[in-house]
Amino acid sequence: MSDAAAQVGLPPVTPEEDHKVGKGKGRAFLGIPVVGWMLIFFGIPYFLLFLQSLWEPTAFGVSHNWNLQNYKLVFFGDSLSGNIYLPTLLRSLKVGAMVTVFSTLLAFPIAYLLAFKIANSRTRLMLYVLVIVPLWASYLLRAYAWKVILGQNGLLGSVLDKVGLENTFLNNLLYSQAAVVITMTHIFTPFMILTIYAVLERLPPSLIEASKDLGVGRVKTFLTLVVPLSLPGVIAGATFTMGLSSGDFVAPQLVGGKNDVMIANQVYSQFGATNNWPLGSAIAFVLLGFVAILVAISTQAEKREQL
Amino acid sequence: MINPESGLAGAPTAGAPEGHSAAVELENVTKRYGEVTAVEDLDLRVEDGQFLTLLGPSGCGKTTTLRLIGGFEAPNRGIIRIGGDDMSSRPAYKRPVNTVFQQYALFPHLSVSQNVGYGLKHAGVSRSETAERVGEMMSLMQIPDVGDRRPRELSGGQQQRVALARALVMEPKVLLLDEPLGALDYKLRKEMQFELKRIHREVGVTFIYVTHDQEEAMTMSDRIVVMSHGHIEQDASPAEIFDRPLTAFVADFIGDTNIVHGTVTRIEGGHATVDLGPLGEIGGSTDDQLASGDRVRVSIRPTDVHVEPGGAGEAVVQDSVLVGGHIAMKIASGDETVVAHVARGSSYEPGANVHLRVDSDRIRVFAAAEGA
Ligand SMILES: Nc1ncnc2c1ncn2[C@@H]1O[C@H](COP(=O)(O)OP(=O)(O)O)[C@@H](O)[C@H]1O
Ligand SMILES: [Mg+2]
Repeated sequence: MSDAAAQVGLPPVTPEEDHKVGKGKGRAFLGIPVVGWMLIFFGIPYFLLFLQSLWEPTAFGVSHNWNLQNYKLVFFGDSLSGNIYLPTLLRSLKVGAMVTVFSTLLAFPIAYLLAFKIANSRTRLMLYVLVIVPLWASYLLRAYAWKVILGQNGLLGSVLDKVGLENTFLNNLLYSQAAVVITMTHIFTPFMILTIYAVLERLPPSLIEASKDLGVGRVKTFLTLVVPLSLPGVIAGATFTMGLSSGDFVAPQLVGGKNDVMIANQVYSQFGATNNWPLGSAIAFVLLGFVAILVAISTQAEKREQL
Repeated sequence: MINPESGLAGAPTAGAPEGHSAAVELENVTKRYGEVTAVEDLDLRVEDGQFLTLLGPSGCGKTTTLRLIGGFEAPNRGIIRIGGDDMSSRPAYKRPVNTVFQQYALFPHLSVSQNVGYGLKHAGVSRSETAERVGEMMSLMQIPDVGDRRPRELSGGQQQRVALARALVMEPKVLLLDEPLGALDYKLRKEMQFELKRIHREVGVTFIYVTHDQEEAMTMSDRIVVMSHGHIEQDASPAEIFDRPLTAFVADFIGDTNIVHGTVTRIEGGHATVDLGPLGEIGGSTDDQLASGDRVRVSIRPTDVHVEPGGAGEAVVQDSVLVGGHIAMKIASGDETVVAHVARGSSYEPGANVHLRVDSDRIRVFAAAEGA
């Protein structure tokens, strides 16, 4: 601290002290239910899955022959069927990324509108409910709805026909990657809206006023103030959306085509029709690894933003 | 509703100042929020370089007045001029004023230097000049070494200084301050009052300062505008506000006072003689239209009440407490209760019979409110 500041008697700056609350035995007991719950529902199943991924499939089950064959197959394929798993995984991540980008772009303006532009609290509540309501409808139902909309004689095609805008691309959306992305974007946009709204709502309007007070116009204020301050919410929502959408298997199954199979569909079939649990486990673990990396990156980014 | 006068923007306006233009001028400004009239028909003229305080109880329209000047609210009626220019069509970011917000409103994602340099950077000022001006301003605020920290790593007083620096570095014509010391503890607040005076002297910018703390207003201001329910009660120097309050509201709000009821017996120019019943007759100045026989309220400062030994049935001491350097005595006389401030050692025990003598040229007489 400077002499000058000391002279006027400013209190010394104390960096926020970490909450070093006593780690008494009583507190340890409180942790038991949580740890137990995590162990039973996450730790043990993941551990068993991991063991499984190191075994070898046989015609009728598994042989406990420890090796990394399954992982090799996931990353490099084999001479019989070629390399199919890694490309599928990458495609899933690509679809996930597209869904994340589109739902962010859709969600941000809506969240912004909700947080800043709707003065009337009843109107705001109504809009908020409109955002939440779809979350109560079953995922399957919503995916099926898109089947109806995008199908060959579906809603979109018929409407386009009626207004004389026949469009071969828009008429043949069903069973394509575009359909998968559209469906999942619809599913995940409400989550994005909610997470972004949560940060925007807590952003004091006086910050925006302060920016204008300092001579900065609307658009610049939005870009230099609102966007950076909303990043924690965007990152949280994007992580969530990316993780869930790249591991989705319902949308590709219902509205995707033969070539739009995603990695979770392959896990599904290894555990089902193909009955190759060790390979299924290995694929699942590789996917888990990618998602873990993603979460790690985003946690870092979020930490930096919140400084 | 549009004020017909606002159509004359740019043209010389009736009632406009002769010769020079005031730093800030409000003419018949009214602001409503739905049913609530926050500010009503406000007329205000702030001279260049003045330290003007808007003083009044919570909800009287102080913040609204500042926000109207800053451009964060648009008036329903009336004209606002800054440096002679009509502000009607100028958004906040184009006005030559800057604000120190009540909760400082520092940008949490930027360092202190970036906060202070925010306005300059976006105004296109070069990097080196920005750095120089930011450094100078932070020295003036006596926080030269905190530039690399985040706002939340600073104490309340330091955040206050950053908010001031961020506004003043823009070299505004007028600085608006909305209860800037409200969040600080007593000691720091006292210190910052002197700091603000010093800064005001050094930068010479017009300050419009909002507070509900009359003591703060008295200490700092060149001029005080006392507000109540969206209108101005009195607009005068601190001394005049204290010695010659225009209304009973001002007398009551500024400093401690006794408001006692009585009847006018004689009126002579601005001087009224009032019969206070058991308290006897008293003379005081008035600005109201009064006639003999009118019911009035009389304001008597506790320091002007002298307590002397008295006979039974006159006045009785009810309570006597030490307040800082003096003793406050609560004394009942007839229906009225009067507070007197006396020096230590010259007080009486509760229950004592006393005689009250009021001796002051600061006595003020106000017409009684309707129904009183
Ligand atoms: N945004 C607003 N919406 C509705 N009423 C408001 C708003 N801002 C202020 N008011 C009302 O206007 C009056 C004056 O408020 P304000 O200017 O904040 O008073 P002060 O700053 O003197 O405490 C109050 O009655 C307040 O409730
Ligand atoms: Mg206020």
